[in-house]
Amino acid sequence: MAVQREIEMRGIPTVLITVSPDVSAQMRPPRALHPKGFKIGNSLGKPEMPDLQLKVLRDALSLLTENTRPGRVETREYAEYGEFHESPGVRKI
Amino acid sequence: MTAVSRKCVPFTPFDGDLSKATVSIVTAAGVHQKNQQPFNIADDLGDLSYREMTQEVEAADLMVTHHHYDHADADRDINVVFPIDILRRLKEEGFIRDIARKHIGFMGYTMRLKDFYDETAPSIANEIDRGSRADAVVLTGG
Repeated sequence: MAVQREIEMRGIPTVLITVSPDVSAQMRPPRALHPKGFKIGNSLGKPEMPDLQLKVLRDALSLLTENTRPGRVETREYAEYGEFHESPGVRKI
Repeated sequence: MTAVSRKCVPFTPFDGDLSKATVSIVTAAGVHQKNQQPFNIADDLGDLSYREMTQEVEAADLMVTHHHYDHADADRDINVVFPIDILRRLKEEGFIRDIARKHIGFMGYTMRLKDFYDETAPSIANEIDRGSRADAVVLTGG
């Protein structure tokens, strides 16, 4: 997203957690984690599932220290989420 | 501001250790403090403003104003989009050093994209750069 790019341009590393990976990929985020199958509004997982939320946040922050490719969205699976939602597609123009 | 092509990815390497890092949260999920002015969801063009939240902010003090996604889950537990309690747990564990002084919520929905790119996004980045003392930022939304 635009805000992420602006923050990176000021020299602060960032990581985006996205549930719309195709939309986010168009913006070529410096670093992004896509928790697979999470619905919009559940970036970190479901309510009152702090252990799942902790795992997602730890994975997102860990991308900062990994050799990721800028512009690429990293997808991870979290079985404990227990549901699968299709992420929104990119509208073809 | 320097113009950067959309094809170019601005990338700042993280050289360091997460256990020494201060982390800030920036969310497009419409999060703000209950005592702050809600985002304007009546305007079809969206809302270009943002809200600052402090290091001490508590989950119970937060709410969501956004009309372009179902935020019932965030109403129950704000951590699904603004993981402040989770960040505190990571601090307790020693996974990160600290919570940054400032965090930002915005609505992430606007028809005025040029204004968003030219004004809102740089202003939010300035708040983080000058006010948060963050070593790293985690963003949510979308």
